[in-house]
Amino acid sequence: MAAYIVYQEQLPGLLKLWARRYGVHVPVDTGNGLYDFSPWSENTVIAWDYDVTVNPLKRYLLPPREELITFDLTDYSAKGVFEAPRQLLFGVHPYDLNAIAQMDQLMEAGSPDRNYLNRRENTVIFAMEPMRVAENSFWPSMGGGRSDIGFDLFWTRIGPATFFVEVGSKTGEDLLMAGGELPSASAPQHDAARRQREKIRESSDLSSLNVPWEELPKILSKSWNSPIWRERSTMCLACGSCNLVCPTCYCFDIKEEVDESLKTGRRWREWDACMLPSFALVAGGHNFRSRAAERYRHRYFRKGKYIYDLIGELGCVGCGRCIKACTARIANPLAVYNQLSEEAAR
Amino acid sequence: MTPLKEFTPYAPRAATLVRKETLSDYVTLFEFNQDNGRPLAHKPGQFIQVSVYGVGEAPFSISSRPKAGSNSFEIAVRKIGAVTTALHNLEAGDKVGIRGPFGSSFPVQEFVGKDTIFVAGGLGYIPLRSLLRYQLRHRDEFGRIIVMIGCRSPEERIFINEIEDLAGRNDVEVLETVDCSNDSWTGNVGVITTLLPKVELDVENTYVAMVGPPIMYKFVIGSCVSDQCISPDRIYVSLERKMKCGLGKCGHCQINGISACVDGPVFRYTDIDLLKEAL
Ligand SMILES: Cc1cc2nc3c(=O)[nH]c(=O)nc-3n(C[C@H](O)[C@H](O)[C@H](O)COP(=O)(O)OP(=O)(O)OC[C@H]3O[C@@H](n4cnc5c(N)ncnc54)[C@H](O)[C@@H]3O)c2cc1C
Ligand code: SF4
Ligand code: SF4
Ligand code: FES
Repeated sequence: MAAYIVYQEQLPGLLKLWARRYGVHVPVDTGNGLYDFSPWSENTVIAWDYDVTVNPLKRYLLPPREELITFDLTDYSAKGVFEAPRQLLFGVHPYDLNAIAQMDQLMEAGSPDRNYLNRRENTVIFAMEPMRVAENSFWPSMGGGRSDIGFDLFWTRIGPATFFVEVGSKTGEDLLMAGGELPSASAPQHDAARRQREKIRESSDLSSLNVPWEELPKILSKSWNSPIWRERSTMCLACGSCNLVCPTCYCFDIKEEVDESLKTGRRWREWDACMLPSFALVAGGHNFRSRAAERYRHRYFRKGKYIYDLIGELGCVGCGRCIKACTARIANPLAVYNQLSEEAAR
Repeated sequence: MTPLKEFTPYAPRAATLVRKETLSDYVTLFEFNQDNGRPLAHKPGQFIQVSVYGVGEAPFSISSRPKAGSNSFEIAVRKIGAVTTALHNLEAGDKVGIRGPFGSSFPVQEFVGKDTIFVAGGLGYIPLRSLLRYQLRHRDEFGRIIVMIGCRSPEERIFINEIEDLAGRNDVEVLETVDCSNDSWTGNVGVITTLLPKVELDVENTYVAMVGPPIMYKFVIGSCVSDQCISPDRIYVSLERKMKCGLGKCGHCQINGISACVDGPVFRYTDIDLLKEAL
């Protein structure tokens, strides 16, 4: 794949060109050492060295609330609603790239989710190699260290003001050249990018899974009755925060309302969370996962086994957001999976 | 940029209520016509999502047999919450929105030439009725038809006239029971498993189609397999879960790693035997 060299001073010009055609979103410092993606404008300061954003990027593809249909009560007709802004996400870390690539597959499978796919088709993704690893992240050990698909460009900083940029798609290459031709990367620059990546992986070795990630589905299939589910979930507040911040959680509820006219109305979907007691509750009061331990277990099985059984990748990309979001300090996949692997080895 | 593709499985189509029939204190049969004039083209065991706009959408089994050339279909609904109450308030001529049919079905072709035991616990008769009526319509293609129905009490029996008609036929065997009796009931009393020993089965040649409350499955499967020696791969069950999208996306209907809305609701027992959350 082609790779080019871009200097930081060229970026403001490029961003301005891109912003003419796309809503450009970049990582910014939101204070107190927290980061989030935010719309770019000329005076935005990009947080090149952000470790992880508080919120996952799924909101650009699966918004917290998204209209699906409008309906007319007079003749019971209904029409699909599709909103798919042209957007460019600049600075997406590999674990989030993996999470998006997973959601792409799951939304495409079976009955394709056009609302999601339309948004995805209108979204350009510029991935970026992180410059530091968040305290709670463990993505290198989850197979999430590098994604070779799903990006239009992949940016790696190889010098104080020098970026090594790999091309992932024609769209990406065209956008890169929007301000004129750029020099191709030399062999030493390819090497520098590779070294930079290895350095980042090594710096995160301290917090890692103690088995190869490929083992997790097997370990989980032996762990249905582990005491860990009950032990850890007794503290669960059933707040659903771990679901909301997770880049690979995409469950939703469907709701509707009638307009003031009482003739028309709309139906939308909004994020839902399997950790909420109402998630599997049906009419008459029967709940298919009434206990916290069952909901807690379901979440880890979904990440560590069910998604794997579908697409051959773990449903946890190791971003660590849930660890930070959980005020009860129990939503820690690394701790759960490591404890399970120890139990399984015993 | 590619133009947006704009088909959505989320948009219901209109259907008009043509007939309502009270089946019990809480259960009503609804017959609808699809406004587009086309048959629903469902398979026995499948379900649809029914919308009352402004109230919501809920899944219901299609209770009528597939009818080529007719745009009519039936559901039977127990009044228990918001959507079901709104449905009960509809009058002939009113409209609903429908999506589907969704999900898996009973493998009708596999049952051809074989005997079928229908095991219906309570409202389980509603989805089984679609398969049963299909088999009755094509009566000579199937072997024995044995219908076992269990209800908590005589008041909860549904489709009473229809079941009496069935019992009067000489090509259908009907066995009914209630968990608790009162004076009006002269039939069998006891849980549904008490009906199984009452029939002599050709076990090598018999399929079981079963729908009922979650608690019923384990007991019936236990006695079908261990007492009657019916091979587990000839047992089919339909499982209900909370459902929203019907498309395998929203996650609500998950049973371990599978989705009841697309992988089910009808399952061959051997396919879910190992799933801890199934029964
Ligand atoms: C595949 C399938 C087939 C069904 N067939 C029938 C049928 O033939 N006849 C019948 O009377 N009932 C049937 N049900 C159950 C029926 O869907 C519920 O009774 C109905 O959803 C209750 O909705 P409500 O708005 O009246 O209740 P509420 O309690 O107001 O519902 C609230 C929400 O919970 C969900 N919900 C509640 N109960 C259930 C449930 N049991 N299953 C799934 N989602 C639920 C609904 O999506 C609804 O949005 C079936 C359920 C499934 C999954
Ligand atoms: S489970 Fe936690 S660590 Fe894993 S992807 Fe989701 S939020 Fe990130
Ligand atoms: S964030 Fe923690 S407390 Fe909240 S639902 Fe998740 S595990 Fe439970
Ligand atoms: S109902 Fe949404 S996944 Fe099955």
